[in-house]
Amino acid sequence: MFSTIQPSAQKPQTKPASSRIVRRSPWPRLALFAFMIVVALIQLFPLIWLVDYSLLKSGDFFGKNFLVWPDPPQWANYKNAFTYGRVPLFFFNSLLVTVITVAASAVLALMMGYAFTRMKWKLSGFFLGFVMLGMIIPIHATLLPNFILFHKLDMLNNLFTLILPYTAIVIPISMFIMTGFLETIPRAIEESAVMDGAGIFGVIFKIIFPITKPAIATICVLNFISTWNEFIMANTFLTSEDIKTIPFSIMKFAGEYSSNYGAQFAVMTIIALPTILIYLLFTEQMTKGITAGAVKG
Amino acid sequence: MHKVLSDKKAIFLLIAPGLILFVFMICIPIFMSAYYGSTDWSGIGQYQYVGLSNYKEILFEDPVFWNSLWNALLLTAATLVIQHPIAILLAIFLTHCGKYEKIFRTIFFIPAVISIVVTAKLWSGIFHPNYGLLNKFLEGIGLGVLKHDWLGDPNTAIWCIIVVVMWQGFGYALLLYYSGLQGIPKDLGEAARIDGATHTQLYSRIMIPLLAPMMRVAIIIAVTTCLKQMETVFLMTNGGPANSTQFLGNYIYKVAFSSSLYGYGNAISVLFIVFCLILTVVLNKALKKDVGEF
Repeated sequence: MFSTIQPSAQKPQTKPASSRIVRRSPWPRLALFAFMIVVALIQLFPLIWLVDYSLLKSGDFFGKNFLVWPDPPQWANYKNAFTYGRVPLFFFNSLLVTVITVAASAVLALMMGYAFTRMKWKLSGFFLGFVMLGMIIPIHATLLPNFILFHKLDMLNNLFTLILPYTAIVIPISMFIMTGFLETIPRAIEESAVMDGAGIFGVIFKIIFPITKPAIATICVLNFISTWNEFIMANTFLTSEDIKTIPFSIMKFAGEYSSNYGAQFAVMTIIALPTILIYLLFTEQMTKGITAGAVKG
Repeated sequence: MHKVLSDKKAIFLLIAPGLILFVFMICIPIFMSAYYGSTDWSGIGQYQYVGLSNYKEILFEDPVFWNSLWNALLLTAATLVIQHPIAILLAIFLTHCGKYEKIFRTIFFIPAVISIVVTAKLWSGIFHPNYGLLNKFLEGIGLGVLKHDWLGDPNTAIWCIIVVVMWQGFGYALLLYYSGLQGIPKDLGEAARIDGATHTQLYSRIMIPLLAPMMRVAIIIAVTTCLKQMETVFLMTNGGPANSTQFLGNYIYKVAFSSSLYGYGNAISVLFIVFCLILTVVLNKALKKDVGEF
């Protein structure tokens, strides 16, 4: 870019527009950064407030200031959060459900994505469209009939029941990402494998799986975050205290501990942390998944 | 190769597990809803077939149903008029941030990855009449008279919900527009600049019109997510006070589990699905004026 601009900059009389680019003052750039930083702070302010207040005594909540320097930080809030909110148990329950859901949806997306993009069968287009309809259907509309269904099958109040709807609702988006990715892979690799006598499952799990790792990573990150955060179904299908998922830690503060604000804010921080960490670790995969879903949709 | 790829048994084994799960968890429930929607079932015991009377009642005699749709419309309008322009502006700014672009992009998206349980409770805290941040802020700048029980007043509660939903979804909108801008070839901008276009001209005449395909996608996503809004409302106000913040998803839940009107709730579910399908098709058709290739 500069090679084309510099020569003309030496004779500004003829091309004033180009010279302006070269002699640009630093101020617009600084103003831009200042503005972006301010907006970023406003966007993050509720979260900063959350972490700050999670370290305060409940009595300090009613002071006049927005942010209070925790002096000393009330780490006891976190200890209380763990015990009153039953964080370790609920955390484990969430992890169990989420990991199984994420793994199952990745495998299903790979299998179905392969069959839809590579294999030749008559109803391929029909079924692909059928599954994609799932992206339009409001998931909360299935809440009530699923409740009745699980009730009839005596599957309510079972942690593993949750895995079924959780996996089903992420199938459309997972497959969408997977088919989009598979279409970019040349077929020559599989052809040589088939020549060497590999079966279809050998091709998928030994050859296609390693190639689709970026797409699988994207699917896993997206599904991890949505499953970890899911709340309404867990709230509807589970009743026993021992099998609840992590969002319910905060609900434990509804009754007798409802005035323990510090511990409540600590629980919220604990619930929010895993997804933020996963997001920060896999920002690119997440970004790709969201934009891929949008660009092709 | 062809033989392997058209092996019917293999295709069945690959498709069946996912498809069966999908059918069982999504399709069969919809048919069940259609069935129970035409009964007066109350959750337990006997029930009678009542034909389409539930649907008639919902469409013609249920103000809460229409209020729920109105709230969804309000939320959509606010998202499109407030959130999206800001997102486009910031997406443009982001493209000028050089190596810091990724940091800002990451920060703006963080609220979107946090559990709605946390964000809903957090914002309930902000709007709290006693220790809430908003009332403290108003007092701090001398507007103490405006102090308010924000979520308890039917006039302000819906706006609180709108603010929270816009805040949390902002990262999504920004990301969509940002990737839309990234998809515009660089030489277009450079050519315009060499021809002497100012920044304003560059964006108003070239970049923003070229964003149109992405706007189409972002608008469809915004409309459908606003219609499907439930969690934030469920946790912050549960549709109240006096159904002023009711949304369809939450209304179904309330009708079925609080009022034990399972038949009626299922009928709303069916209408909800039909609405979403029609709306998506109509929007896709209406906004289908694609800008040509670059």
